[in-house]
Amino acid sequence: MFSLIRNEWVKIFKRSGTYVMIGILLFIVAVAGAFMKYQDVQGTVPANDQWQKGLQMEIDSYQKELENSGEMLPQEVKDSYEKMIAINEYRIENNLSPNGDYEALSFISDMSSLIDFAGLFMIIIAGGIVANEFNWGTIKLLLIRPINRSKILLSKYITVLLFGFSLLFVLFAFSGILGLILFGLADSEPYLLYQDGVVKEQSMFLHLLNVYVLSSIQNIMLATMAFMISSAFRSSSLAIGLSIFLMFAGGQMTQLIALKYDWAKYSLFANTDLFQYLEGTPMLPGMTLTFSIIMLVVYFLIFQIIAFTIFKKRDIAG
Amino acid sequence: MKAVVKIENVTKVIKKRTIIDSLSFEVMEGEVFGFLGPNGAGKTTTIRMIVGLIGISEGDIKILDNSVQTNFEKAIQHVGAIVENPEMYKFMSGYQNLLHYAKMSEGITKEKIMETVEFVGLTDRIHDKVKTYSLGMRQRLGLAQCLLHDPKVLILDEPTNGLDPAGIREIRDHVRKLARERGMAVIVSSHLLSEMEMMCDRVGIIQKGKLITIQSVHEQVEGGAKEYEIDVDHPTEAMLAVDRLIPNQQAEVKGNTLMLRAQKEDIPLLVKEWVHDGINIYRIQETTKTLEDRFLEVTTLQKEAE
Repeated sequence: MFSLIRNEWVKIFKRSGTYVMIGILLFIVAVAGAFMKYQDVQGTVPANDQWQKGLQMEIDSYQKELENSGEMLPQEVKDSYEKMIAINEYRIENNLSPNGDYEALSFISDMSSLIDFAGLFMIIIAGGIVANEFNWGTIKLLLIRPINRSKILLSKYITVLLFGFSLLFVLFAFSGILGLILFGLADSEPYLLYQDGVVKEQSMFLHLLNVYVLSSIQNIMLATMAFMISSAFRSSSLAIGLSIFLMFAGGQMTQLIALKYDWAKYSLFANTDLFQYLEGTPMLPGMTLTFSIIMLVVYFLIFQIIAFTIFKKRDIAG
Repeated sequence: MKAVVKIENVTKVIKKRTIIDSLSFEVMEGEVFGFLGPNGAGKTTTIRMIVGLIGISEGDIKILDNSVQTNFEKAIQHVGAIVENPEMYKFMSGYQNLLHYAKMSEGITKEKIMETVEFVGLTDRIHDKVKTYSLGMRQRLGLAQCLLHDPKVLILDEPTNGLDPAGIREIRDHVRKLARERGMAVIVSSHLLSEMEMMCDRVGIIQKGKLITIQSVHEQVEGGAKEYEIDVDHPTEAMLAVDRLIPNQQAEVKGNTLMLRAQKEDIPLLVKEWVHDGINIYRIQETTKTLEDRFLEVTTLQKEAE
C-alpha cells in the first residue's frame, strides 16, 4: 500500500502543473504580505487612546439602525449588527483595544481565507488522478498488476488527502514564516468568539486550528466528490469543472432554496460549513451540529460507494 | 508440455450482443500461440479478458490453474502484457516508468530492472523522458515493462503495429527467444498473416467471436508428397512425360507452368526425361501452402457455410 501511494505521489510531482499550483499559493501569500507591510492600515476607530470612544460611537450607530429600521432588515444583517455590538461592548468592558499590534498569528489568520484556494487545487488533483490514467491510456498497464482494483483506487484517494493536507501545511508554514519575518511575534491577542449572544475569548492559536480543521472538511468533501466523478465518469474536466462550480455556487444555491423549501438542509452545501454552529446561526432552523455531521458522513459514504463500485466493475475497453 | 493458459468456454456479451462466443483453447509452456483474425473479430476483447481488464460473461480463464475471476491477483502475477499500444507516463523517464511498475509487483530489484533494460536494448536512453522516445523505443519499453517480474505468460496485442521492418524483426526475435530460452507461453495477436507465420508455433483463427480452427504453422504436407511449379517451353509435351512417369497424376497446366504433386525422388527422373525429349526447363520450385492460403481457405469456407 505504501509503495502504491508513493507511486501516485511521484506521478503528481513529476508534472510541472503541480509546482505551478504551489507557486501560485506562495505568490499570493507573498503579495498579500507585502501589501500588509507597506500599506497604512487605517482602522475604523482612531488609533490612539480614544479607541473606546470610537467603539461606543459604532455601537450607537448600529443600535440606531436597529431601532429605526429593525423590522425591515433581513435577519442576517440584524444578526451581524448584534454581533458587532456585543463584541464592541466586550472590548470596552475588558479594555481590549482593536488596535493591537499586527503580528504573525494575525497574518496567518488573514491568510487562512486562502484555504479555499488550496481546496481548489486539491479538487484539480482529485479530479485528475483517476481520469488522467484513462486519458493517457496508462490505466491498462496499471490494472494488470497483481493488485486488486480497490487497493489501487484507495491508494489514489489517500494520495489526494495527503496532497490536500500538504497544501494546507505549506500555506500555514509559509504564511507563518513570512508573518514572523514581516511582522514579528507579539503578545497575541485573543480571538473574540460570538456564540448564542455571548462573547467568549479564545486563544488565537486555537482559533487558527479551528479554522484550518473546519475548512478542511469542506475541501475534503468537494475533493471526494471530484474523485467520485473522476473514477465513475473517467472525465477530469467534468470532475474538476462541476466540483469547482459547486464550490463557488453550491452554498448560494442552497441558500436560495432554503428561502422557500425546508429540504435544503439535506443539501451537501448546507452542511459543509460547520462554522455556522460555532459562531452565527445555522442556515435553517432545526439544523444541529450532529445533524450536519451525520449528513456529511452519509454524503461521504455515498461518494465512496459510487466511486468504488463503478471502478471495480468497469470494463477497460478502447 | 503443460497448459499454462486455459480458456474455457468463454463468452462475452455486451449490451445483448455476443462479442465472443464460447471460445476455448489452451496455450502450452514454451509455445508461441498466434491469435489471428480480421479486425473486429474479438482478438483484443479476448486478450483483455485474459488479463482481467474486462469481465467475463460466461466461462472461465485460468492461468496456472488460478482463475482470473476469483483469484485475480494470483493469476495475473504470472502474466506480462502489452494491450494495444504500450502507453507510458510521458512526463517521466523510461526508468521511472519501470520503477513505477516494479513497485507494484513483489521482489523486483534495481539490478533486475537494469538487466531487463539491457535485454530490450534501451540502456542508452533509459533515463530520458518517454515523450522523446520513438515508437520503436516505446515498444521496447513496453516489452521491458512486462518482463520485469519474469512472467510465465507473455501477452502481446498487435505488438508490431506501426513498427518499421527492423523493429518488427526485433520484436519477433525477442518473442522467439523468450519462448525457447525461458519457456514462456506467448500469446500474440495480429491481423498480419506473414507476421504470424514467422513468429508462431500454432495459430488460432477467430472470426466474429468464434474460434474457427487451430493449426500448426509448420504442418508437414501429408505423405511426403509436395507441390511443385515447373516452367518449361513446351508444356503439353512435358505433360506426356509426367503421365508416363507418374500415372494418375492430377497435374495442371497454366500457360507455360506445370503444377503437380510429386515425391522428392520423382523430380530428377522427370528432369532426365524432359532433357531427353529436348524440352527446356526454366524453373522448378517447391511450393508450400502459406498461412494466408490456409487462412483464406478457412474463412471463405466459413462464409460459404453460412
